[in-house]
Amino acid sequence: MTRALRAAVALTVLLLSAGGGQAATPRDALVMAWNLDALITFDPPQIGELNGNDIIVGNVCSTLVQYDPKDTSRIIPGTAESWSSSPDGLTLTFKLRSDLKFPDGTPATAEDAAWSLQRAVLLGYFSSSTLTQWGFNKDQIADQIQATDANTVVLKLSKPYPAALLLSAAFANSNVAVILSKAAGLKNAKTIDGKSDLGNAFFKTGPVCVGPYHVTRWDANDVVVLERNENFFGPKPGLRRVIIRHVPESSAQRLLLEKGDVDVARLLNTDDLKALEANKDIHIEQTLMQRMTYMSLNTTNDPILGNPKVREAFRYLIDYDGLANTILPYKGVPRADLVPAGAFGALDRKEGQPFSLDLAKAKQLLTEAGYPDGFSKKMILSANDINPAIAQHVATNAAKVGIKLELEQMADANLFTRGRNRDFEVQLIEWQAQYPDADAMVSRHATNPDARPEAKLVGYPVWRTGWQSTDINTKAEAARLEQDPQKRAAIYKEIQQYMMHNGPMAYIFQTIRPIAVRTSVKDFVIAPFSVDYSSASK
Amino acid sequence: MMNASFRLWLTADVTTTPWQARLQRAYFGWRRLCGNRLTMLGLAVLLFLVMVAALAPLIAPEGYDAQSLADRLAAPSAAHWFGTDDLGRDVLARMVYGTRVTLMIACLVAVIAAPLGLLVGTAAGYFGGWVDTVLMRINDVFLSFPGLILALGFVAALGPGIRNSVIAIALTAWPPIARLARAETLTLRNADYIAAVRIQGGSALRIILHHVVPMCLPSVVVRITLAMAGIIITAAGLGFLGLGAQPPMPEWGSMLSSGRAHLSGAWWISAVPGIAIVMTSLAFNLLGDGLRDVLDPRSDS
Amino acid sequence: MHLSILKAVARQASSVSTTLLGLLALTFFMGRMLPIDPVLSIVGDQADQSTYDMVHRQLGLDKPLYVQFFLYIRSMLSGDFGNALFTGHRVADDLMKVFPATVELATFAIIIGVGIGVPLGIVAAVYRGSVIDHFARVVGLLGYSSPAFWLGLMGLILFYATLGWVGGPGRLDVGFMDSVGTHTGFTTIDALWEGDMEVFWNAVSHLVLPGSILGYGSMAYISRMTRSFMLEQMAQEYIVAARVKGLSGWAVIRRHAFRNILVQLVTVIALAYAFLLEGAVLTETVFAWPGFGHYLVAGLLAGDMNAVLACVLIVGIIFVGLNLITDLLYRLLDPRTR
Repeated sequence: MTRALRAAVALTVLLLSAGGGQAATPRDALVMAWNLDALITFDPPQIGELNGNDIIVGNVCSTLVQYDPKDTSRIIPGTAESWSSSPDGLTLTFKLRSDLKFPDGTPATAEDAAWSLQRAVLLGYFSSSTLTQWGFNKDQIADQIQATDANTVVLKLSKPYPAALLLSAAFANSNVAVILSKAAGLKNAKTIDGKSDLGNAFFKTGPVCVGPYHVTRWDANDVVVLERNENFFGPKPGLRRVIIRHVPESSAQRLLLEKGDVDVARLLNTDDLKALEANKDIHIEQTLMQRMTYMSLNTTNDPILGNPKVREAFRYLIDYDGLANTILPYKGVPRADLVPAGAFGALDRKEGQPFSLDLAKAKQLLTEAGYPDGFSKKMILSANDINPAIAQHVATNAAKVGIKLELEQMADANLFTRGRNRDFEVQLIEWQAQYPDADAMVSRHATNPDARPEAKLVGYPVWRTGWQSTDINTKAEAARLEQDPQKRAAIYKEIQQYMMHNGPMAYIFQTIRPIAVRTSVKDFVIAPFSVDYSSASK
Repeated sequence: MMNASFRLWLTADVTTTPWQARLQRAYFGWRRLCGNRLTMLGLAVLLFLVMVAALAPLIAPEGYDAQSLADRLAAPSAAHWFGTDDLGRDVLARMVYGTRVTLMIACLVAVIAAPLGLLVGTAAGYFGGWVDTVLMRINDVFLSFPGLILALGFVAALGPGIRNSVIAIALTAWPPIARLARAETLTLRNADYIAAVRIQGGSALRIILHHVVPMCLPSVVVRITLAMAGIIITAAGLGFLGLGAQPPMPEWGSMLSSGRAHLSGAWWISAVPGIAIVMTSLAFNLLGDGLRDVLDPRSDS
Repeated sequence: MHLSILKAVARQASSVSTTLLGLLALTFFMGRMLPIDPVLSIVGDQADQSTYDMVHRQLGLDKPLYVQFFLYIRSMLSGDFGNALFTGHRVADDLMKVFPATVELATFAIIIGVGIGVPLGIVAAVYRGSVIDHFARVVGLLGYSSPAFWLGLMGLILFYATLGWVGGPGRLDVGFMDSVGTHTGFTTIDALWEGDMEVFWNAVSHLVLPGSILGYGSMAYISRMTRSFMLEQMAQEYIVAARVKGLSGWAVIRRHAFRNILVQLVTVIALAYAFLLEGAVLTETVFAWPGFGHYLVAGLLAGDMNAVLACVLIVGIIFVGLNLITDLLYRLLDPRTR
């Protein structure tokens, strides 16, 4: 809802510049226009939203390892120059580079790296699950993650997970695998409720870590400024400063971009993007994200939605092709598979989208399920962006087969609360996969360890629907431990095919992130999990 | 036009029954109202809107949710007089059904706020003492907020939707009515005829309902009509923020809001509902002004 | 005389504080009813139950309601309004930043409202029933009947996009954002302070459209009240007497009628100024003006109790305070009401 508010005025500028030529952006700075109001902290393990992660991970804090920007299935070194796992698969060792320095020039060691990892678990914010889901926990963390010498970090695992999976899931471009300054954190730590906050309040306005830039200024809802670190271990960042301005409307961003007052616009809507296509000075980079929008059908105590045929009927109410041509350009790509394209083990485009609008089939499935005259359900959704349009589209088609879908829009936080409390019938919502591996979605959207309400596995969308399949649970766990990549992929294919037809979610599209960049900016590397400011030059 | 003897009876100088007196007053008031051209204009616009709302299924048989993705954002043309919106729905059809929504909100708010305000105000004025103090304190608390902000707060607390926004707006509309009713009651409280009824054994409730309230009615009617203009705008404001009627219900404020993302290409989606809101609000203002001149000429002219 | 005024003030003060307390309680409990969960705004949807519980405790939401209310009152009295969830900063600091923006807008609007409204009202009263009177009435009525947010949108399309006469959303063009420091928080005054005329004119170009739209509403109200006050005055006997003495029409207006309505007019203008706070809420949203109204709406939609409570309190104080001052002014200056 807030985003809709902010997209307040989209305007075409047909005019000749009213104020005369504006100053172009400084030659030594990358100026970005974005929406900054979701930012609440820059302490890496506490960051829970896209903007913060985009700015900090990789740009202010380098991570131990990272995804190859050209191929997210490859892991390349970051602050760690090499890694290895023990033959029994229970120990993972990182060897750090020896030339790591903090912005002020003091050297960074494995001690700092281990502390940063432990801290993520100890602080207990959302990111802690990045590590806790692999067996790390607060009580044993000091033993599980250790710095054995100045350059070596050793992690003890509880199960022999394949290294490739772990690196992707927990360490590559991850906001827990950063190297924060232990000295700075402890020196400025506050004690809250008897416990040390490990520098959480201090790092909020700018973490002290190893990376190409550091934060020099953050005025809430106004501007963020980053400055280059002269002793960064990697290639020297092309531009000395990065200035990120808060410009909440698409129209304003577009105007600034066209006039050259900003170099990059991060939040343009479809109309503005279409209009910019023709502009030779501007290039639009569209990146397929690991993010899915779907309808969640709550099967708890609901014989109607609990019936797999009813759920399958929902799949046929979505006009994937129609949406692709009308509402989805620049926003998403139709996909019915729970694993987004580009993740390891994902079905390809065609296999991942076998459905099309077929009201006759939907009606037939409903009749077979015992509801020839349809039924009534309430659908809740957020008012953001194209969600209302998608919801209304589905509701109109549903009405044609007798399903009356009553829509209710609400703020994001409301939507999440209802979902987490299992207080919904149908929900239109999005989910960001944390890493480009089928396990990311399967572990949250297919594996349900405990379907009881008391289990409160609120971070698992599949738990919220009350759906469970012990068979799928077993397969998913086996896939996690399977060392042979081909065999792993095969298990995931099975799981995806099953979930597409029987699961409690009907997936609609995979998100595209459009970024408009002026052609005067060169070599700007934009990848699904990292937007690398240091790569840009003019 | 009228039967000659009926007209004589209506315009007689001396009335013989209370009913005749009331009818006469109404008749003369109506005559004065008719003389005011602007007021008649307002009344005509409102009647037009009521007609449109009633005849909606005839004017727009396809309903307000007939989507056609291929036709989205079409400019006004012979096929679509007001163009289409971002889902290909005919804007005229949605406007017509939206009239129902707007009028319904207006009526519901009036029906809730006026009796509530009357009751609280007359009770406070009649009983006085601590009843008065307590009721007026509560009144002050509500009054010290600008209407929109209070309504925003209530809707945010109750959750979005037409029912809750009606409740929220009604909660912001009753305080001025109560204040007004109390002022009127205070002047009446010590009137002779009230004392007479009390001596005869009339209970407080009877006195208030049968004698005090009818005297307050004219000014309350005027006040509510004038307040309608603001109520329509507040309701549109709530809809604009997404807190009012939920899609696909065609409420004018939310239609305005959904057109914001297309102002460059498809300005009609936002322009048309706005014009309708202005028209309706203006009509209530004109009617209210005229009613005030007839019913309550003491207040400022 | 002084004792009676003091007594009146004391009585007013006590009634004002009970009203304020009631206001606070109303907002507080309304806010706790907010179905928007502030914890989720912080931790996000992917957080598991233990993270959620931890932040819930950190925000103090596990204590009983009346305890929370009491703690809130206590911290508020010392000027600490808590932290705003959606900006991460102290609400008090946020408010200091956003208030000047709204005051700048409101002041511009009031200048238009008074500058046009008062003369219009006077002329309409003097030439009662004429074309000007009707014109003023219609213009005023339109002002009451038009939603400011819609006028804002239409204004932007016409004057910004198509004609390019005014600046767009926001207080300054992005290129100018850092050019002047913050001395008063009023971009126009700050620009003048530093002598940067380019920034000054840019700020004005952004102020013109939202300010005029808000000013339109004020103008409608002010001109109507001015007209009715003047009509009251002109019906008085002393005006007739002055005319008989031979004073010209306008001299009479200037020297007598206008002077006599000044007190009432000032209170009306003060009220209009306060009502601009309400108009600002949606106007600031449309024009992305980083002021008080925008802050309130953002806080409301984020379920940010601290921000909403503080804003509501401020609005309440302003209104109640204004009513108090108006009452006192009347008592002091108008001998008839003593």
